[in-house]
This record gives sequence, C-alpha cells and structure tokens, in this order.
Amino acid sequence: MRRTRIVVADAGQIFRAGVKHLLGHESDFEVFEASSFAELSEILEAREPDIAIVDLELPPSGGVEAVARLAPLHETRMIVWGFDVTNDVVLAAVTAGAKGFLQKEISPAGFIRSLRGVVRGEAPLSRGLATLMIDAVHGLEQRDRVRERAVALSSREREVLALVAGGARNRQVAQALSISEFTVKRHMQNILHKLDLPSRRAAGLFYRSAFESVGAAEMERTA
Amino acid sequence: MTAQARTVEPTVPLVAVVSRYPLLAEAVEGALEGIADVRAFPAGQGDTSAFLRLLQPAAVVVDSTEDADAAGDFALESGATLVQVLLREDRIRLLHAGRWQNLSDGSASPERIRSAVAAGIYLRGYVSER
Repeated sequence: MRRTRIVVADAGQIFRAGVKHLLGHESDFEVFEASSFAELSEILEAREPDIAIVDLELPPSGGVEAVARLAPLHETRMIVWGFDVTNDVVLAAVTAGAKGFLQKEISPAGFIRSLRGVVRGEAPLSRGLATLMIDAVHGLEQRDRVRERAVALSSREREVLALVAGGARNRQVAQALSISEFTVKRHMQNILHKLDLPSRRAAGLFYRSAFESVGAAEMERTA
Repeated sequence: MTAQARTVEPTVPLVAVVSRYPLLAEAVEGALEGIADVRAFPAGQGDTSAFLRLLQPAAVVVDSTEDADAAGDFALESGATLVQVLLREDRIRLLHAGRWQNLSDGSASPERIRSAVAAGIYLRGYVSER
C-alpha cells in the first residue's frame, strides 16, 4: 500500500513533532518536516508529497504567500493552519490555492480524519471556519457592489472622500486640496447624493469598504 | 515498618498536559516515550488546580497563562515539575523554586521539554514507596 506523504511546514518544532508522533501510529502516513518556505519548496520538489500542512506564519513571508507561490507549481494539496483565524485570512488562503484550512486546536482524531478526507478529495474546513468563509465571500461580494457605486464619483470627489474617510474636517480637506471650504461642502453634498448615503460618517465607511479591507456590512448598516 | 518489610517498586511517573492544543500533548508524549506516562487534558475545563491535586502528576505541562497560574499552586505544594510552553511565542518556561525561568532561547523544542520534565522527575525521585 502506498502511504500518503505529508509535509508539515511550520517553524514551531512542537507542532511538527506533535504531528509526526500522532501520524507515527498510523501505518498509512509518511511525514516530512519543513521549518521554512525554502525547506518546504525543497521537499515538494524532492518528495512530491500528497499533502502539505502549511503554517499561516511560515517564515519568511507567511503561509498564504507560500501557498500562492507553490500551489501552481505542484500537485500537492495544500492545507493552511494557524492559531488565530479571521474570515479574511481563510479567504486569502483559499484564494491563494489552499484546499482547506485547519485550526491548530484541532483534535488528533479530527486531524487524521481531515487528512484522510483530503486524500479522498475533500476540503477540510471546520464548521466554525466554514461560517467564516461564507461571511468572507459575502463581504467580498458587498465590496464589489460598493466599488461599482464608487465609479459614479469624479476623481476630485474621490480625493475629498479619501481625506474625509481619514478623519479630515472640511477646512483640512480644503487646505490639502487647495480649494475653498465652500467647494469641499459642495463636493460632499454631491458625494452623498451620488452614493445615496445619509452622512459624512457613512461616506467615510463607504470609502473604507470600497478601497480598504473594512467590512462592508457596517457601511450597509449605517447607510 | 521494618526495612525488610518495605517494598519499593518502580512506577512510571505521570505527566499531565493541560492544553487547548492536543498536538502539544502528542509532542510531549513523543518526547517522553519510555520516561513517563503522558496524559492529555483539555484546558479550560474548570478548576485546574483542584484537578491536579486529585491526579497528583509528577510533572505538568501547560500552555496558557491561566493554567500556568493554576498549576503553579499545585506545583509549589507538591513539588511537581511545571513547564509552560508558550506556543505562539515559541518559548518554554520552568517554574523553579516559585519563580519562572526561561528555558529556551528563541525556540521551543520537544527535547527541551523532555530535559526539563525528566530532570524534575528524577530530582523528585520517580521510585515511590508503597
């Protein structure tokens, strides 16, 4: 029987050792270790493992970056794992090419079950992470909708909005753009009208939702 | 009890790993193979200190500061070895004579945990009288 080859890419020796010890009891797994992107890259080349467990904080540039660079070059199914997980992180990992995401709190039985699932073509994602993932996808869609609305703004209005989103008052915006306060007010009125927003604060949230990674849901609620 | 009547049997020391991360217990179990009986217990299940008093392990390995504090009381009372593995910081600390000592310089390894736990167990005397 061909054993499933797994590489654990994690700078933390404890987690590598934990996985190695755990899977050492299972006859169908063979485990390799990598503590950095370079070592992971070498093992992928030399051993062609079936699965790579990649730490979110893998040196030097993190697990998402590692997956983005290596996934297109190898058939190895890459699973990212980490301590603190947010919807943006899960989405970034999956977008980069990860086939799943695990939390480091995972139980030994859950870990083995996940690996066997990957072999069968499943994507490991705990129930909590699945919810995060769905939220992230919704957030992405909302951001796209927000960006579509932002197209209506002129470049000057966008400049004004960027400053307002950063907390600038009308006088500061006027100084920054070398225009009068009256003109700033007129731009703000136009911005609120075009975006159908009720307030300056909502406009600021809109800007961050459209052009920065702030949840669009807050903007929608304010609007 | 006379000296002849006393029977001394070697017992395998018990090491309790109280952690949110079961893979830490796996690593400790691997590191202490042949040295100790390692048992994993999930963190945050209630009164760690009282639980350890009932269990009476020779050594305790924890990861969270809350459990380190709780296990510290037990370790001071019982003389058990207490090791804290700070997984996020990749550091290991040992409670010695009521004070925490850093054991690793930048990297927490199973071997360092083994050294700390094994030294504590042997200093305590793992052969118990029955």
